[in-house]
Amino acid sequence: MKEKTVAAEIRANRAEAELRKLQAGLAHVSRVTTLGELTASLAHEVSQPLAGVVSSADACLHWLAAQPPNVDKARRATERIMRDAKRATDVVARVRNLAKKNPLQRTWVDINETVEETISLATGELTQNNVSLEMQLANNLPRVWADRIQLQQVILNLIINACEALTKVDDGTRKLFVSSASELVGLVLVVRDSGPGIDPEEIEAVFEAFHTTKPSGMGMGLAVSRSIIESHGGRLWAEPNEPRGAIFKFIIPSEKESA
Amino acid sequence: MEHHHQPESRRHPARSNGASPSTEEQGIVFIVDDDFSVRAALEDLLGSIGLNVQSFGTVQEFLDSRRPDAAGCIVLDVRLPGTSGLEFQRLLARSEINLPIIFISGHGDIAISVQAMKLGAIEFLTKPLREQELVDAVQFGIARERTRRQEARRLDGVKERLQSLTPREREVFELVIAGRQSKIIAADLKLSVMTVKVHRSHVMRKMGAKSLIDLARMANSLGIPAQDGT
Repeated sequence: MKEKTVAAEIRANRAEAELRKLQAGLAHVSRVTTLGELTASLAHEVSQPLAGVVSSADACLHWLAAQPPNVDKARRATERIMRDAKRATDVVARVRNLAKKNPLQRTWVDINETVEETISLATGELTQNNVSLEMQLANNLPRVWADRIQLQQVILNLIINACEALTKVDDGTRKLFVSSASELVGLVLVVRDSGPGIDPEEIEAVFEAFHTTKPSGMGMGLAVSRSIIESHGGRLWAEPNEPRGAIFKFIIPSEKESA
Repeated sequence: MEHHHQPESRRHPARSNGASPSTEEQGIVFIVDDDFSVRAALEDLLGSIGLNVQSFGTVQEFLDSRRPDAAGCIVLDVRLPGTSGLEFQRLLARSEINLPIIFISGHGDIAISVQAMKLGAIEFLTKPLREQELVDAVQFGIARERTRRQEARRLDGVKERLQSLTPREREVFELVIAGRQSKIIAADLKLSVMTVKVHRSHVMRKMGAKSLIDLARMANSLGIPAQDGT
């Protein structure tokens, strides 16, 4: 009898491990798909600082060729080149991190930092679609024990979805609102848009796998996002926004609750 | 198309440090780009060849600014938050701001560039910018604007002079332009030939015309037709 239980437990553990691996694999595929959708705007995010580098280098040569050379101006141009090169490198590093197939790696994560990093990847997409972003990140938030890349993936997904919803409205009020706060049950992150919103009857269906409203989408983004948040002991859900649009919220336990 | 990258000093005569030519003389470039890296780099680059530069992150900032009254041009990013570059071009076409536009874009979007060129843009350049192309376009834009401003000033002068004519002189002016001889004008206006000749010389003097052809050109630029009134 006891042996049987042990065997069953081993089998269950194995099944669970398999499932986790599958989930991680799916999360990775979904992440890469999202990055694929962002290719154009990410290329833009890299090419802007590179354009700065080229023109600053041209300027620098002029200052050096002046009689006498203007070393001060040349130095400032070089400093800009360094700054812009770093800016481009950062984008590349962030994309590479998201694209990598990492084993789950939980650390103490600062959610605001994660939000800001993610936003920097989506900036091009927001500008391109004329979406104005408002952020309200609370100070001194407790950290969360989480996989940073997976959290970025969830946030990126919510932002891209909101951005897409916003492109469906044409009256010029494309507003995206992102906020973080500490509540009793944990950290809350809110992504609110003023798009057309979600049909109340569909508000749960959007989290189902293969549910999609876009021709190019796989319909996995929100399903994967929810499973990621749930694997972090949290919840992800949608609500209607007033007067129009959708609100996506997730809540995950922070070091305050786990202590 | 080959673009030779020559040493800077050969392309633009090196200027001595700190010399800042007047805005009117050198012209001014307005940069509108939402990216701070691009903005700062272009501002410095155009500044390094002796141009005056003002830069803005949005179209609104540009419109709200106090701009010097000088020959200039706009280096305009196609994609901007709020009013886009193309929208701004259309806006300008309908306003009294006549600045020539050089578009810059992160993508070589052909459809957009065709649209921009049709609306009279001077150039459509793709980032990263080739310095020589940018400088050529900017200098061409400033030169064109300078010519337009001179022409506008000349025309203002002619208009002012036209205002100084008496009603009778104005009448004589129009008939002279129409190619009538003094004798005919005298008959038409029931004046003596001598009086017409006096009016006529007043017209020439007041308008500052050196010859009849000169006067005809002025009339033409004012849109007064040299029609045959018979």
